[in-house]
Amino acid sequence: MKRLLYFLKKSFDVFDKAMKEDSTSFIRKQLEEEENIFALITMGIFSGIPSPPTGIVLRILPHMSREISIMIKRSANLDDVFGEIMGTFNVD
Amino acid sequence: MNVYYFLGKGGVGKTTVSAAWSVGLAKKGLKTLVASIDPAHNLGDAFATPISDRIMHINAHLDAVEVNIEEMIRAYLNELSTKMKNTYRYLSAMNIDRYFDILKNSPGIEEYATMEAIKRLIALRDYDAVVFDTPPTGMTIRVLAMPPVSLVWTEQLIKMRKRILSTRGMVERVQGKFEAEVDGEKVVLSSSEKEDPIMQELLSYREELRALRDMLSSDYSYVNIVTMAEDLALFETKRIIKLLDGFKIKVRNIFLNKFFEIKNPPDEIKGKIEEQEKVIEKMKTEIKGIEIKDIPLLRKSPRGIDELFNIYSKYLA
Repeated sequence: MKRLLYFLKKSFDVFDKAMKEDSTSFIRKQLEEEENIFALITMGIFSGIPSPPTGIVLRILPHMSREISIMIKRSANLDDVFGEIMGTFNVD
Repeated sequence: MNVYYFLGKGGVGKTTVSAAWSVGLAKKGLKTLVASIDPAHNLGDAFATPISDRIMHINAHLDAVEVNIEEMIRAYLNELSTKMKNTYRYLSAMNIDRYFDILKNSPGIEEYATMEAIKRLIALRDYDAVVFDTPPTGMTIRVLAMPPVSLVWTEQLIKMRKRILSTRGMVERVQGKFEAEVDGEKVVLSSSEKEDPIMQELLSYREELRALRDMLSSDYSYVNIVTMAEDLALFETKRIIKLLDGFKIKVRNIFLNKFFEIKNPPDEIKGKIEEQEKVIEKMKTEIKGIEIKDIPLLRKSPRGIDELFNIYSKYLA
């Protein structure tokens, strides 16, 4: 009985985590978009986009590791934007 | 502490006037620092003594320095590059030095470094007065405009960052701590403004910019224009006054330098003298609330403290 309850609890935990991840997947995608835009706006100097005065960029650049990694990931996926969107909506 | 800025085109006599002004203040017993932030330094020539990028004594009440802006930029970017290489290990594979070479020449970096130099020198509490011999007008206007313009950007970036943190909060409320893999390591992405280093940096920078903006438009800042009595110079002077007024920075004095004061002028320069008189008339009519002082064209450029004090006592005081 104890083993059954333990097994049920574990199953519910996994199920709960999967549902939470699923329910937040769109929000996480939105978050990545917002962070990507933030990275592009602040670091546009490297790609010719109008960007904030250099002083602001220099101040926040040491803390932008996550934003830089998102920007690099998004740039790498740019040749298959369609595939990425389909992936977001779980279309195989 | 009063801070004096002397603006003007290259060659109008900014260095001479700012050096003379600083000598005059020092003679009154005020502990004064005169600083050249013009990359084409001439302060040493005006004082007839070499001046370096380390503050040095000229006399009992007067110190001087020629700020090396290029070296400041290089040192700052080197420090940043080292910090970045330590923080972003995978970026070292991308040859990040190449990107910092771009930054060295990027628009705005010289203005940023010049404003940093101004901040650092004003922060030295040992002085009653700091006098700045500034770069040619275009650059100086961009430097003085930097705090209000940067504030606009910073406010927008703060709004964007708040939105990002709010979205993170939504994820956090559903699935608990929000973890992400960054540079091969698991990091917790906080939704709290206090724990987000970017937000903290933006908020701290905003406070610094507000302090700079308020300092430039305060009663302790004296922006002066050194110009000549010529038509084009008058147009430029009016434009500068209007531009600075937009940033709530008041121009206090206009120094009309190299002013012809010749009793029996030769024919070759009669036209110039007539132009000069018309410009002065226009200036007095069209520019109100700003004191205009004439400094005549001298037989030779003043060199050394005594000659500079002579200029101050006769024409500037």
